[in-house]
Amino acid sequence: MEDKSKKYMNPYLAGVILGFVIMSAFFISGEGLGGSGAFKDIVKTTVTSVAHDYSMESHYFKSAAESEHSPIKTWLVFEVLGVLIGGAISGAFAGRLKLKVEHSPNITSRTRIIFALLGGALFGIGSQLGRGCTSGAGLSGMAVMSVSGFLAVGVIFGSGYLFAWVFRKLWI
Amino acid sequence: MKEELFVSGRDIPFIDPVLHIWHWQIPLYLFVGGLAAGLIFFASYFYLKGDEEKYPVAVKIAPFLAPIVIVLGLIALIIDLRHPAYFWQLYTTIRIESPMSWGAWTLGAIMPLSVLWPLSYIYELKEYFDNRLCKMPFKLISWFISMIERYWILEWVLDWTIKLRKPIAIINLILSIILGVYTGILLSAFNARPLWNTSLLGPLFLVSGLSTGAAAIMWMAKDHYEKIAFSKIDLVLIAIELFFIVHMFMGFLASTAVQQEAAALFLGGEYTAVFWGFFVFVGLVFPAIMEIMELYGYKIPISIPAFFILFGGALFRFIMVDAGQVTRYLY
Repeated sequence: MEDKSKKYMNPYLAGVILGFVIMSAFFISGEGLGGSGAFKDIVKTTVTSVAHDYSMESHYFKSAAESEHSPIKTWLVFEVLGVLIGGAISGAFAGRLKLKVEHSPNITSRTRIIFALLGGALFGIGSQLGRGCTSGAGLSGMAVMSVSGFLAVGVIFGSGYLFAWVFRKLWI
Repeated sequence: MKEELFVSGRDIPFIDPVLHIWHWQIPLYLFVGGLAAGLIFFASYFYLKGDEEKYPVAVKIAPFLAPIVIVLGLIALIIDLRHPAYFWQLYTTIRIESPMSWGAWTLGAIMPLSVLWPLSYIYELKEYFDNRLCKMPFKLISWFISMIERYWILEWVLDWTIKLRKPIAIINLILSIILGVYTGILLSAFNARPLWNTSLLGPLFLVSGLSTGAAAIMWMAKDHYEKIAFSKIDLVLIAIELFFIVHMFMGFLASTAVQQEAAALFLGGEYTAVFWGFFVFVGLVFPAIMEIMELYGYKIPISIPAFFILFGGALFRFIMVDAGQVTRYLY
């Protein structure tokens, strides 16, 4: 079989397809796409089941602790699960499904993992402060013509360009 | 005598209104019991078929996991007992009508045999672990071999196990099927729990156990031929499992009101998402898709489908034990 692992889909085509994904999400579930929300629900579920007393006192966890349903029973959790599985299947089709740490030759796998974890944590905090992440606030926001959606995308990509320069040594 | 006064007949902690006396220990044990049954079944079957060299990991290597996981399961069972020190009393009686008695005696017989089997392949095990990242098993096996060389009695036991491989394989083949079926029958014998009270649970647990065993073997297999062979076996087992699951629910829906209500827990009720989403989709359909892609020549790290099959097998038992305790005849 020919090596397809270096061939990627045209990003403009992928973007259009992503637009259709958002539309179908609104059609099927009545909600947009989101990533960080699922992880928030997982945190809520973990905290309310491990430390129930604490969550009853906490302003943030109280609504989840009092709810009849488990906080994990939301559209976003299952959507993110689908993203992981779909990603794995798509990676397998492209011949890229491997268990490895991708990093620049200038840094070690360890450095890459440390910075990825730091980046992930900052992403989580940021998406809480911004009331949504790239997909939740940005894409889904723009899909319903919300000003905050356009603003979020502008700020995310703007600060992305800025900080890419600061951390360029991690990649080039 | 300590007397207790109940204000309500429905206030018996852990039993009524909802029976909840089985926690993580029982499903964990049912999972490792099924896994061990699968590993031992494939080892015995392919040995007796004469495919020892064709499937070396299945016959010689993977069965070493069986006694380890059985011991883990037995520890879980003992933790579950109110009076752990009395566990041996199960061995003071044989009750043919009790699945628990069947299980205790099957485990009592299969446990020593599952130790003897990998012992007879100790040199092959040493070779297998020699090139592995984890050096711990290799060191342990090397130490054990040095013990064998030092004490004649151990050497005698080793020679004896090698000579007795065939009778051990025959007994193990039968016992592994009993073990696999029993993990399901243990639940289905509870007439009072409508979700468990279906004759399909025995075969379903057996097939699921064989499937997790096949997944463990293909994860450990070194050569491509063996991986593909067990991937195919696993696909067939997944298909049978899905068939049984569909028929189990058809059976419930065609049965009495309590059984219909038990099925409703999975068809719109509180276990719907976890059962169909995490077990059926993530634990069966997704690994099956990966395995089919592998058969068509796509490069798939075998650990991915293997991990999800094992995950699905464990989750299935956790869901069944938990949900079964919610279902009842009393309303």
